[in-house]
Amino acid sequence: MPALIAIRGLRKIYQMGDENVHALAGVNLDFNKGEFVAILGPSGSGKSTLMHILGFMDTPTEGSIVFEGQEVAGLSADRRAWYRSNRVGFVFQSFNLLPRLTVLENVALPLLYREDSKPEANEAAAKIALERVGMSHRLDHRPSQLSGGERQRVAIARAIVGMPAIIFADEPTGNLDVKNVSRILELLASLIKEGITVVLVTHDLAVADHAHRIISMREGSVQEDRQR
Amino acid sequence: MRIFERLRPAVVNGLRELQANKVRSLLSMSGIILGVASLVAMVTVVQGMVGNFRQFVDAMGGIEKITVDKQPLPKEQEHLAELSEGMTMRDVDQIRATIPLVQNISPEVRVGYEKLSIEGREFSTYVTGCTADYLPVAKRWIDPGEGRFVSDLDILHKSDVIILGSAVVTELFQPNEDPLGKVIKMRGRRFTVVGIMNNIEGSGMQVRSANSKSSGGMWRWRNSGAYIPVTTAMVKFTGNDRLSALGLRVASGDDLNNAVEQVERTLLTTHHGLKDFSINTNEQTLEDFRKTEAAFKLSLGGVAGISLFVGGIGIMNVMLASINERIREIGVRKAVGARGSDLFLQFLAEAAVISVLGGIIGIGVSMGVVALMNFILTQALPSGMVAKFDIIIMLQGLAFSVVIGLVAGVYPALRAAKLDPIEALRHE
Repeated sequence: MPALIAIRGLRKIYQMGDENVHALAGVNLDFNKGEFVAILGPSGSGKSTLMHILGFMDTPTEGSIVFEGQEVAGLSADRRAWYRSNRVGFVFQSFNLLPRLTVLENVALPLLYREDSKPEANEAAAKIALERVGMSHRLDHRPSQLSGGERQRVAIARAIVGMPAIIFADEPTGNLDVKNVSRILELLASLIKEGITVVLVTHDLAVADHAHRIISMREGSVQEDRQR
Repeated sequence: MRIFERLRPAVVNGLRELQANKVRSLLSMSGIILGVASLVAMVTVVQGMVGNFRQFVDAMGGIEKITVDKQPLPKEQEHLAELSEGMTMRDVDQIRATIPLVQNISPEVRVGYEKLSIEGREFSTYVTGCTADYLPVAKRWIDPGEGRFVSDLDILHKSDVIILGSAVVTELFQPNEDPLGKVIKMRGRRFTVVGIMNNIEGSGMQVRSANSKSSGGMWRWRNSGAYIPVTTAMVKFTGNDRLSALGLRVASGDDLNNAVEQVERTLLTTHHGLKDFSINTNEQTLEDFRKTEAAFKLSLGGVAGISLFVGGIGIMNVMLASINERIREIGVRKAVGARGSDLFLQFLAEAAVISVLGGIIGIGVSMGVVALMNFILTQALPSGMVAKFDIIIMLQGLAFSVVIGLVAGVYPALRAAKLDPIEALRHE
């Protein structure tokens, strides 16, 4: 089976004054469907840059990314937006729910930007996603009325509402207490059963330990890629 | 692209932002509210005034009226004074024969104030000798069923008939009395009432015709007065064949200048070169009104324009502040799939919602202002309503505010659209 994402010779070079900073210095990686992968590394290792490029938020300076059989390294901003609303989900450390919207509206948000967006269908899909994360009882609450763990579950519901191929979770447990950390990690791990690839981006070895494959990065390169 | 379906959530979102920041939104709207209110109120009031000017000029005989009055000879002709015959019916015939531009010509003899009496009741009023053409030239009419005016036969026979202004009727007759056919005495002569002029109603600058017999207000002078055949006036009152004035009517205001020129040439011929007459039109009056109107529109429109401009700046300011506060939101929306154009639309819709609401409130305020001005004017002038609410003006005001809102929203919306999602998400 071909890889979900195949990265070859990926480079990202930033101009910082007169100096070129190699955030990614030639990365080769494959991600498969239904994998639970952790990308581990200290800040500045290039793990965030890699996540942004793979999540269609940024473009590489050089190299090739084949996503579901398509070359996507040089896509336009609007095409990348399409991938973000259709094929990719994000879970952030600080949840990033919109405070004015209800739980249900927050979860339905990615569907709003799809071409076939229909309010009723979006709402139905959002309810299913919220059920999946066990938050059906809080549909009309505002994010501020929820605990940290609850907010992250809503954020996960938002990430999976559009049936993405892959979810990027950027330090998803960084703002949570111990009890909620394992719950969220278990929830993320359970998503692979639905064929979703989950990529955990973290600097915390204990968190990365939950994944089935750990990719260690340092100074823009993959240092270690280990199946567990 | 189905723009409407993308627009709807954007508008809903805009309303929601408005609701979440009520005070700020109201403040940002205040400029638009004031701008639209002043624009709509001023245009409405100026339009009302201009309408009154037009009616006033119309009441003076309209733009198509030319008046020829007697005038002392100019200095260089003073020594020829005894040769001056003044205006006579010969001038009337000559103008009628040679100037087709003149549709009606009304010779008038001003008899002056005369005492009218019937059955012991007396009333002094201004008596004018005239012909049938007086009606179209002066734009006054006999009310239906209230008799007739001076006829050609009256002129021929120098009949002793009289037509009364509506204000005269109320002074000389009981309300239930029919004046037609009654005989009135004037300077010992007996005149039969054959017609009653229509009543010019309204006060202040407003004029309208009505069947009502009431008189009063500032137009009383136009409702008093009595009319007899011009030949009767010459033979039985002035004792000569001189006319006091000529009233002329041309088909349209465009012919006015040509007609004035031709009338002057014709009269100079019949008067053997003596300039013992002056030709006047209502054009100067109308021109003055036009200048006043233009000045009002310019100054008031300028004020309204400036307040709308300031309103636009207010909206832009609030939009920029709002975007600054919501950089993170913009990042989140982009991360979950919003394109730049989605965010552009969202923020533009927000600006439009503010301006439309501001415009609607502004129109409401303008209605209050116009009503207040009308009230004050009614108290001060005893005049009727000076300005009418005009849905077209209101819609124009609203359209103006929407345009301002959209223009003011473009720059902030572009900024939102161009934000980099990664930077935006990092923003604290």
